[in-house]
Amino acid sequence: MSSRRKLNDRGLLLMSWIFSAISVAVLVVILAYIFRTGWSVLSPDFIKNNYRSDSFYALLEEAPAGDFTAPAELPEGAAFSRKFGFALSDAKDKQNNDVTQLVYLDSESPLNEAIMDSAGVDLAPKGEAIRPPEGLIIDRIQFLDAQGEKAEVGSKKQMDAQSSIDLLDEEAASLVKYHGLTMGGGIRGSLLTTLILIVLTLIIAIPLGIAAAVWLNELAPKNKTTALLRTGVDMLSGVPSIIFGLMGMTMLFEITRLFGITEQSIVLGALTMSVVLLPLVIRQTEEALKTVPVSMRMGSLSLGASRTQTIFRVVLPQALPGIVTAILLSMSRIIGESAALIYTMGTAIVDHPQLHRGATTLALHIWKVMSGEQPDFQMAAGISIVILGMVLFMNLITRLLLRRFRRN
Amino acid sequence: MTQINEQQRTDSSLQSNMQTKAQRRIRNTDRFARGCFTVAGWLAGLMIILIFFFVASRGIRVFLPSYGAEQQNIWDFLLGMRWRADNQVYGVAFIIVNTLVSAFGAALLSFPLSVVTALMITRMASPRVGTLLTTVVEVLASIPSVVFGVFASAVITRFVDSLAGLFGQTTAGGNAMLTTMILLAMMIFPTMTDIAIVSIQAVPDSLIQASLAVGATTMQTNYKMILRAARSGIFSGLVLGLGRAFGEATAVSMVAGNAYTGPSVNLFESTRTLTSTMLTGLKETTGLDYDIRFSVGIVLMILILITNSLIFLIKRKVGGGSEHEQ
Repeated sequence: MSSRRKLNDRGLLLMSWIFSAISVAVLVVILAYIFRTGWSVLSPDFIKNNYRSDSFYALLEEAPAGDFTAPAELPEGAAFSRKFGFALSDAKDKQNNDVTQLVYLDSESPLNEAIMDSAGVDLAPKGEAIRPPEGLIIDRIQFLDAQGEKAEVGSKKQMDAQSSIDLLDEEAASLVKYHGLTMGGGIRGSLLTTLILIVLTLIIAIPLGIAAAVWLNELAPKNKTTALLRTGVDMLSGVPSIIFGLMGMTMLFEITRLFGITEQSIVLGALTMSVVLLPLVIRQTEEALKTVPVSMRMGSLSLGASRTQTIFRVVLPQALPGIVTAILLSMSRIIGESAALIYTMGTAIVDHPQLHRGATTLALHIWKVMSGEQPDFQMAAGISIVILGMVLFMNLITRLLLRRFRRN
Repeated sequence: MTQINEQQRTDSSLQSNMQTKAQRRIRNTDRFARGCFTVAGWLAGLMIILIFFFVASRGIRVFLPSYGAEQQNIWDFLLGMRWRADNQVYGVAFIIVNTLVSAFGAALLSFPLSVVTALMITRMASPRVGTLLTTVVEVLASIPSVVFGVFASAVITRFVDSLAGLFGQTTAGGNAMLTTMILLAMMIFPTMTDIAIVSIQAVPDSLIQASLAVGATTMQTNYKMILRAARSGIFSGLVLGLGRAFGEATAVSMVAGNAYTGPSVNLFESTRTLTSTMLTGLKETTGLDYDIRFSVGIVLMILILITNSLIFLIKRKVGGGSEHEQ
């Protein structure tokens, strides 16, 4: 009997350990996949590049050959043109094609005096001077040789950097034009949108949530109506986020329409997120309000302060830790939110977000690159790392703050 | 402070003009601020009703004669077993069944794991292991839905596809019911574990001591006594997890596969949930294909409402216990 009990106990203990290990394993596998897939795309360029790759022609009016000397520190594998003062090297573009990339540009190089010949490019308006940035893909350079004949070099002509430069230095008398491609594939626009959305949402949600919490906790009469309203707030936290998206497109859409916005927009996204965050902000603030002793309120009131003065000068300052926690939690919620925003902000990735237009946050950016015919796992995982980094950092700060506040 | 002093000094016989002005200003700000607080409070409390009203009124529109030539029959919608947006055939019955099946499957996978993990954290593990497990649960809870989606459509699909191969079946690139279940199981695990932890912690110490005193082993106490004492909290956690599974949208849409007909009980066939129907193929923001998503939204809201009342019932019937934290 006793040995059977012991055996039973051992079995249960073993099972407990195995089950707990599974949950650890799940997390490890998720993180391992995300980091292994996404790590290689993470770079400063990934953060600061536009998503769209711009393609343009630049004309070179007077670009005769000169005499340049190669700089002391040229990147490895770069080919330097002694005649024109720039260096190309072989690289891969986002589609993994072989391209020739500009890696060095002498300040006297004729490439500096090019005129933009394409419209709608971020680097320069059409007809203005364009100085090619380092890292620009230059896949085609047209030149005139000594006889005045046109010829081309570059990766478009299936030439690598070294042979392109060799041919230029050998035959070219002057340059005519080049074709440039910016790298693209970056997340700057989405990152910017995320920050804008966070600021805008907090401006709406935090005052509204605090006011509601103050009313529920300090001013509301203790009766059935108040209890019902409180239940309403509680139920709000159980509503799935996709329903908030639908709500945004019907109810809040009418509000943005008053301001002349007739499509999905960042403003609409911020309004929607404010509603999503209401229960969270209210709960956190209320928890904090409850810790303020009643005697403080009584003291303030008995000294002749009005209810409002008491709330703003005595109660809310004491509740500050709760409000800070609410802000931090709200921020991670906004960063991770997707379903509600797919409806209210759309899924078009833009490089220059505008408040009255649709745009993608980082989470929506992932959704967009995953929902096409060819899901881009690498980019999705790369953005996931950025998101996870932000969210986990925020949670860490929340935890540290909470610990400090509790100690005080 | 000066304002307060002024107020204190006020005496009915000594009222100067300035004092009453200051008083009036204070009273007006007070009234104004209170008005703002009251409006905010009512707005927050009534928001749930506003949401329901606005979504429902848009969703019902497609069934009314005023919708015009594309008007849908509500019974065809509620009882239909086919969803072909390209042919304007919208039947939601099999989608409801599939949603329920995938959510319950996920709960079945995840519930034992989360209860045992909660027990481990609260009763069995050393402080260090306990902290590790708590952190794991917290990190899992903070991973956003899209990130789960990326992981699921890369890794879980491959796993399910090769599993199907073992059984001599094929999947649509791994987009299957089982994939959805595993994904949802991962996503609702932290919710259920959190609540299980709170309700296990609420079991009074005297009960545990009594159980040990009458000769039960630690394991017997853990599994037979504590779990039974905490069952109301644990089950409301389960229902809460189900609610999350019903409403989870982005990640599920990436792996559900969006079957046209159903219901299907084959784990390796592709499926379609309410949320994946609402989210996939979203292009224009007008027209029947868009409006019908609001009708699906009504169904989802009713489903969530039922789940929430279930939690309420459990708490009332089985009795509290999970309410007070340690």
